[in-house]
Amino acid sequence: MSELDETIKEFLVESLENLEQLDRELLALESDPTKIETINTIFRIVHTVKGTCGFFDFRKLEKVSHVGENLLDSLRSQKIAVTEVIITTLLRLSDTLRELLANIEESGCEGDGDYSELVGLLTSLNEQKITLTSEAISINSKSEGSVDESSVVLLKTQVSEEGQDDELQRMFYAAQSEWQNASSLEAPGAAAVPESSQIGAAENQAPSTVADGSESPKVSESKKSELSESSLRVDVNLLDKLMNLVGELVLARNQILQFTKSQNDGEFASTSQRLNLITSELQEGVMRTRMQPISTVWNKLPRIVRDIAHSCGKKVVLEMQGKETELDKTIIEAIKDPLTHVIRNSVDHGIESPEKRLAAGKGAEGVLVMRAFHEGGQVVIEISDDGAGLNTERIRAKALEKGLITSDKAASMGEAEVNRLIFLPGFSTAEQITNISGRGVGMDVVRSNIERIGGAVDVASNPGKGAKFTIKIPLTLAIIPALIVTTNNNRYAIPQVNLLELVRIEGAQLKQSIERIQGSDFYRLRGKILPLVYLDEQLGLSAANSTKSGGGILNLVVVRADNHQFGLVVDAIHDTEEIVVKPLGRLLKGISAFAGATIMGDGQVALILDIVGMARKAQIAKKEAAAKHEESRSNDEGKTSERKKMFVFELGTNKRAAVPLDQVYRLEEFPVQALESAGDHIVVQYRDGILPLVDLRGIYGEPPEISEGSLRAFVHLSGDRFVGFVVERILDIVEQCVNVERPYPKQGLVGSAVIQDKVTDLLDLSAILQLAELSPKHSFDAREAR
Amino acid sequence: MPKALIIDDSSTVRSIISKMLTSWGIASIQACNGQEALQKLSTECDIQLALVDWNMPIMNGLEFVKQVRQESSFKEMRIIMVTTETEMHQVVSALEAGVDEYIMKPFTEEIFKEKLNMVGVIG
Ligand SMILES: [Mg+2]
Repeated sequence: MSELDETIKEFLVESLENLEQLDRELLALESDPTKIETINTIFRIVHTVKGTCGFFDFRKLEKVSHVGENLLDSLRSQKIAVTEVIITTLLRLSDTLRELLANIEESGCEGDGDYSELVGLLTSLNEQKITLTSEAISINSKSEGSVDESSVVLLKTQVSEEGQDDELQRMFYAAQSEWQNASSLEAPGAAAVPESSQIGAAENQAPSTVADGSESPKVSESKKSELSESSLRVDVNLLDKLMNLVGELVLARNQILQFTKSQNDGEFASTSQRLNLITSELQEGVMRTRMQPISTVWNKLPRIVRDIAHSCGKKVVLEMQGKETELDKTIIEAIKDPLTHVIRNSVDHGIESPEKRLAAGKGAEGVLVMRAFHEGGQVVIEISDDGAGLNTERIRAKALEKGLITSDKAASMGEAEVNRLIFLPGFSTAEQITNISGRGVGMDVVRSNIERIGGAVDVASNPGKGAKFTIKIPLTLAIIPALIVTTNNNRYAIPQVNLLELVRIEGAQLKQSIERIQGSDFYRLRGKILPLVYLDEQLGLSAANSTKSGGGILNLVVVRADNHQFGLVVDAIHDTEEIVVKPLGRLLKGISAFAGATIMGDGQVALILDIVGMARKAQIAKKEAAAKHEESRSNDEGKTSERKKMFVFELGTNKRAAVPLDQVYRLEEFPVQALESAGDHIVVQYRDGILPLVDLRGIYGEPPEISEGSLRAFVHLSGDRFVGFVVERILDIVEQCVNVERPYPKQGLVGSAVIQDKVTDLLDLSAILQLAELSPKHSFDAREAR
Repeated sequence: MPKALIIDDSSTVRSIISKMLTSWGIASIQACNGQEALQKLSTECDIQLALVDWNMPIMNGLEFVKQVRQESSFKEMRIIMVTTETEMHQVVSALEAGVDEYIMKPFTEEIFKEKLNMVGVIG
C-alpha cells in the first residue's frame, strides 16, 4: 500500500506540473487558435492524466479527463475548430483537474464534487462536429435546394463585415440550424447529403493527415529533458532546515570572531578567518538553493489576466520581462497575493474598455507589462499598464470625503502624493470594490503585505497614458541589516527598512521640543510633528504616561510604518548589524511588537521589533490625526504655520490686489511728464535704461486716462529684465497665512484670499506680462539698467 | 537477468512499469521520448525488451518503432506498445511497423505478466 502511495504522490506532482503548462498552452492557443503543435501539447497533457489515473481508482478524474481528451482529439484532427467557448471550457477542465488532484493530495480521495455539468459541456462541444473552414461554408451555400437563399446572403455579408471568429461562428450556427430546420421540412433527403459527406470526409481524412506522427520537436521540451539530467528535486523542508543550520553557523562564527579579537594567537586568528570565509560562502550557497525564478508566481498570471479581462469585456495583452529573476522562496510565497491584487486592479480599473480605448486613439487591446530586475540588493517588480491612469482628483475628493486627509492638506498635496493615498487603510470602499479587484482587499493590504517583508510599493500615474506600480522587495528574509538598540538593559533589533534617522535631544532643547497634545507626546522635527512611542512602555516594561524628560537625554529612532512616521524612544542606540532572523517561539508569536528573534555575537538573544505592528498597537495614525487637528486649529488662530509676506495695493475703488512681496523689486513713482510711448507700450527712462510699464488697473477694464500728477508703480524682475506695474495706491505689506480660493477664473489672477479681513485678488504677474506681450523677450535687459 | 527499456513521457507510468518489472527480476532503464530512447539504445547493448508509450513529445512511439526496426542490431529486441483506447484504432499501423505485442493502459500486473509471457521475456 505504501508503495502505491509513493506512486500516487509522483502522479500528483507530475500532473500538477503538467496542468500549469496546460494553462499556458491554452492561452497560447487562444492567441493562435490554428497552431497544431499547441493543440497536440494540450492533448498530450490531458491524455497523460487520463492514461495514468486509470492505474489508480480515480473515477471522476478519469471521466472528466476522458471527455476532455475526446474534445481535444476532435480539435487535433480538425473536426472542429477552436473557439472562445472551447478555450474557456478547457480552462475549466484544467481547474477541475487541479481541484480533484488537490482533493486527492489532501484526503487521498477525489471528494464528492459533481462534475456532470462540465462533462456534459465538453461532450456537447465535441458533438458539434462542424468545420469552420471556408470549404464548409461553400458546401452549405452551394446546396441551394436546401438552404434559404437569404440566410446564406446574410451569413456572407456578416462574415465579410465582422471578420471575427466568434461572430462568424455564431452566425454559422444560426445559419446551420436554420438550414437543418428548413431541410427537414422541405427536402430531407437533399439536406442529408452535404452534411454527412462533409463530416464523413473529415473523419476519413483525420487519421492520415493528422496522425501522431505529425508532431514536430519543440525546443522548450528538449530543453526541459536536458535540464532534468543536471537537476534534482529536494524536499523544501530539508532546505529550510539547512538554512536554519547555516543561520546557527553564522551566529557561531560571529561568536568565534568576537572571541578571536580578545586572543593573541596568530594561528587561531587565521583559522577563524578561514572559518569566516567558508561560512560566508556556505551561507550564500544555501541561500541560492532557496532561490526561485519569479516566473513561479508569474506563470499563474496570464490565466488571471485573461479571466478578469473576459469578465469585464476588456482586451489585455500581458507582457513579461525578467521572468528568470530570482527570489527567496519565502518571498515568492509572500508576494503572490499582493502581485495578483495589483494585476487585478490594473486590469479592472486601469485598462479601459476597447470602445473607450479606440475613442482615445489607442489600440483596442490594453497592454500590461510586468518587469522584474535586481537593483541594489533588492528585487524590483514593475507592473505598468497603458490604461487611463489614476483619477487624481477623484482620489483627492474621496480621501477628503472619508476624512483620511484634511481639506488644507488636500489642497496642498501634489499629484503624486495624492495618488499614493490609494494605499491608505480605508481608502477602498465596498462600493468601489468590484467582484474582481474586490474580495474585500484594498491596496492598503497590498502595501502592508509588501512592507511586512521589508518591501515598499509605490505608484506613478500618467493621466490618459497609464499607471505604473513599483514593488521593491529584499532578496531574502533570512538575513537582514538591523539597528541594535537597548532599553531597560535588553537589546532589540530594528530592521533597516523601517529606519529613517536617529535623533538625540539634550538638555534645554528637550523641554522646548516635546509637546503634549491630548495626553500623548510629540516631537517637532524640522517643523513636522512626530508622535513619540516609548519602547519600554510599549513592551510593558514601565508604566504608561510617566514623564520621561527627567534623564536629560532622549534617544529617538525615527521609523516609518505604513504611511506614518514616529519616533521610538530608546535608552541607547548601538551599531547596525547583519542579523539572522529566527522565527519566534510559540510564546511570543502572538505579540504584535516582535517580528522575530536573533542571536547576537555574544550569544545573547535580541528580539526584532515589528515596527508596523507597533505602530498599529500604539495607534500612531490616530495620534497623528489628533495632533494635526490641534495644529490646524491653532493655525486658524494665526499662531504658527507658513506665513507669507504680501504686498497689498489698490487698483481702483474697492479693488484690492496683492502679490508676494518677493516679486517686488522696488517701489517707484514716475511723473506723468516722464512717460514716453515706444511701439504699443508706455515706457519710462529708468536707471539708464527703458522700463516698460503695465497698468494693472487695466485688468478690470480700461485703465484711467493718465493726464497729470504721477504714477505709482512697483518694479518687478521678470527673467533678467525689469518691468514696472502701475497701481492706484500702495496699501500695505502684511505677513499672514494665505488661503487661496478660486471663486471665478480670470486671466491674470491666481485667485483671491482674505487679507486683513478683506477679499483681495492675488495677481499672476507672469500671466499678465504674457497678456501684455511683455514676457522676458519684450522687456529691456535689467543688466543694462544696473 | 533480462533488461528492459521503458519509454514513456509520464514519470508516473515509468515508475509503475519499472516497479512491476523489478518484482519479476527484470532490470530496467528509462527514457521519456523516442529520441532519448534511441540514444539509450546506442549506448546500452543488452536490452531485450522495450515498452513504448504511443503519445510522447519530440518523437512518438510509432516513429521510434519504425526507426529501431530499420536497424538489424535490434532485430531480436521485443517491443510492446503501451497504448490507450485513443490509439486502439491505429494499433494496426504499430503492428505493421514491427511491434510484437500491445497492451492497453491501465493494465493489471496479471495482464502485463501475460503479455511478457507472450513475447517470451519471462516464462
Ligand atoms: Mg504519453
